[in-house]
Amino acid sequence: MSLELKEISDFLKLHHPFDLLPDDVIEALPKRMTARYFRKGTKVLSPEQQCQHLHIIRTGGIETRDPDGQLLARLGEGECFGVRAMFRAGRAANNITTLEDSLVYLLPEKEFHNLAGKYPQFNYFFEQMGGARLRSGMQLLEKRDDDQLKLMSVRVSDLIARDLVSIDIGASILEAGKLMCRERVSCLLVTQGAGAGEVAGIMTDRDLRNRVVAEARSYDEPVSNIMTPNPTFVGPDDYAFDALLTMTRHNVRHLPVMKDGKPVGMITTNNLLARQSLSAVYMVGKIRKMDQPADMAKVIAQVPELLTNLIEAGATSRNAGHIVTTLSDAATARLLQLAEDKFGPPPVPYVWMAGGSQGRQDQTALSDQDNCLIIDDAYDPDQHGDYFKELSTFVCDGLNTVGYIYCPGDMMAKIDQWRQPVRVWQQYFNKWIEQPEPKALMLCSVWFDLRPIHGTRAIFDDLHRMIITKAKGNRIFLAYMVGNALTHHVPLGFFKNFVMIRGGDHDRTLDLKHNGVVPIVDLARIHALANGIDAVNTYDRLEAAKAFPSISTQGASDLLDAFEFISITRLKHQVRQIRRGDRPDNFLQPESLSAFERTHLKDAFSVIKNLQTALESAFGKSGT
Amino acid sequence: MGLLQKITDSDFYRQWVQRRATGPLRAYYDIPATHPDTLIRNIEFVALDLETTGLDPKKDEIVSIGFVIIRQLEVDFSSCEHLLVRPQKELSESSVIVHRIFDSDVEKAPDIEIALAHILPILAGRVLIAHHAPIELGFLGQACKRYFGAPLHIPTVDTLVLALRDLYRQGQPIKPGALKLESQRHIHNLPPYRVHNALSDAIAASGLFLAQIAKRDPKGELELRRVLR
Repeated sequence: MSLELKEISDFLKLHHPFDLLPDDVIEALPKRMTARYFRKGTKVLSPEQQCQHLHIIRTGGIETRDPDGQLLARLGEGECFGVRAMFRAGRAANNITTLEDSLVYLLPEKEFHNLAGKYPQFNYFFEQMGGARLRSGMQLLEKRDDDQLKLMSVRVSDLIARDLVSIDIGASILEAGKLMCRERVSCLLVTQGAGAGEVAGIMTDRDLRNRVVAEARSYDEPVSNIMTPNPTFVGPDDYAFDALLTMTRHNVRHLPVMKDGKPVGMITTNNLLARQSLSAVYMVGKIRKMDQPADMAKVIAQVPELLTNLIEAGATSRNAGHIVTTLSDAATARLLQLAEDKFGPPPVPYVWMAGGSQGRQDQTALSDQDNCLIIDDAYDPDQHGDYFKELSTFVCDGLNTVGYIYCPGDMMAKIDQWRQPVRVWQQYFNKWIEQPEPKALMLCSVWFDLRPIHGTRAIFDDLHRMIITKAKGNRIFLAYMVGNALTHHVPLGFFKNFVMIRGGDHDRTLDLKHNGVVPIVDLARIHALANGIDAVNTYDRLEAAKAFPSISTQGASDLLDAFEFISITRLKHQVRQIRRGDRPDNFLQPESLSAFERTHLKDAFSVIKNLQTALESAFGKSGT
Repeated sequence: MGLLQKITDSDFYRQWVQRRATGPLRAYYDIPATHPDTLIRNIEFVALDLETTGLDPKKDEIVSIGFVIIRQLEVDFSSCEHLLVRPQKELSESSVIVHRIFDSDVEKAPDIEIALAHILPILAGRVLIAHHAPIELGFLGQACKRYFGAPLHIPTVDTLVLALRDLYRQGQPIKPGALKLESQRHIHNLPPYRVHNALSDAIAASGLFLAQIAKRDPKGELELRRVLR
């Protein structure tokens, strides 16, 4: 066989299932094939169209959608399409559109069946693809429907199944019972004032049992005697997952949904917990009941497995980060409760803050702790110093035992510097903002991403307002932040090739954290601080930034997509490592991705690069 | 387009030269050339590349010919061939470095007359595709004149010229190397080739041609005249 066609057979040999064919068979294949070229966006096949070739993608990528327009797959280099047609007498089953300019090799139907007849393993692959694999894919989709993924993507407003049933506060217990019976509800909202205006309380069938029957109360008493006043509520835009957490935390099964102070609906555990058990929520519930850090460690040790399940079930990185961070929050809050039990109630109010990735709610399988304590200005070091030192040391040590190792940069509440009253924190932030210096900028990535976890949240609110206002107007500070952000280069060379780490333990890899995730987190922080946005989560910051001129709406959207893609690539990489029993890290070998994914990764890096450049011209570099 | 080329590409010129053609070239001219008004998607093309001992058709010789046929805008790999050609003179060192074809390789190969007799029927009625066609036309034409009494007249698409038109249309400055086959393939997201010889370059040009047509003619309504050189 001539050398030139060897390029084609060599290509086939690299791709499954052609690699299963004997060498002489595969080398004879190119002579039986043809090649076609399709521009990006070309409709290559539509349902029922004649398709008498197996299509093998040489370069480029395609998207396959079922006749209803549902996305089935995106395929890249070395992958095949038109497979269903091979089993349907040459009639295509789905819509195929090119996502990029693509060169495609065509193997005639006859040759395909010839190979499939002779080589069972080859046949098996395509049979799976045509039929069984699609079915298992559908099962996966169905299964997804009732687990926590749905709760992560669904907002509370989507779960409000029916109109709210409410009763006036003056009604009797008997009237309430009759109404519940008639409306077939397990819960009533108790309102007062005209037009069911204001929520006074909530009454459930459990209240009828516990507070009426068990207490032998008269049915003529008003509902106000048995209702739960000022119930906990959620907003329509909250995630269903968070609503479920609120229920677990308060041990209730019903939550009113309030919008602008008005009740708009009610959700119940039945809405949420249809059939499935929710592992993350159960893990949180367990942690809340534990008294020993060593026990919590056993729960937190399951985080890699949880992450694996989430990613394999198709969770977004945003969902996964949110869920994993919820567990850290639960462990932190529980340790603080235990500390307060042990050392007594706090002598002055305080708030425990999480910084860094926990603050931003984007933790992954490996996390260290970044936290600090902000204490009310009534704090007197001589009088209260020991209490807070003991409390913080207990919690930081506890977190270390649980699995959140000590911060290598010592940014923890157990360090005296990071356990201070509001007035000292104000001085810190004043100094960082007004006299920016390199060391302070390093701290910024942790302390400008603070989120309250436990204690008196109002303490942080005032400080937060001050930080936001100060940072917004300070262009020198912002320019320093920009200069710092630009030190994180994306790993792309001049010709859009990957620039990989050379030598050492991570030879020929990309650092997805420092060269991918961190630059976007930095960009989002700057746009947030520059515009007075108080969000801390990177997605929320970028969403909010769209409304401001410092970044274009398109730029922010591109960056959001890039963030999701790089984060999910990083998580999938870590999941692969966890599956192999390796310790997860951030170092990815580009060869472990398909060509299609590599192209997307390059695109994502290009987006970062472009927006870094845009930022540089908008704010100027440090020192200028 | 130069006046001379206009003349040599014309039907009149074809009729004039074919009268003097002998042997396989006569048979070639008996089959009418593809009309420029034919739709591209209905035409059969031959993407062809030569390896030569130098750049001057009058002095230098062909050492290999590679080609592949395109039908209905599909590259048909079953049609591809790679012919070695035995030159009259010994191969010079400098040319061996370029094409890596040695005297021992071409010892038993047919000479150019036999090779031409083989490829002329394949070219007949089809349209030639080459990347920088003056080389292919020059060497094939010279050989035809020498052995079969007349030059070769064939409608030709030059992928380099199409690339050049694209760059002009985009108003881009033309960087050194931008028109090379490899660079052009890269632009169109076509895979790189590791091996370089007459056939792999012919296949490479065929892929580039498909990409250039896909860009110009997404609906398949373009006539040949729009892409002729």
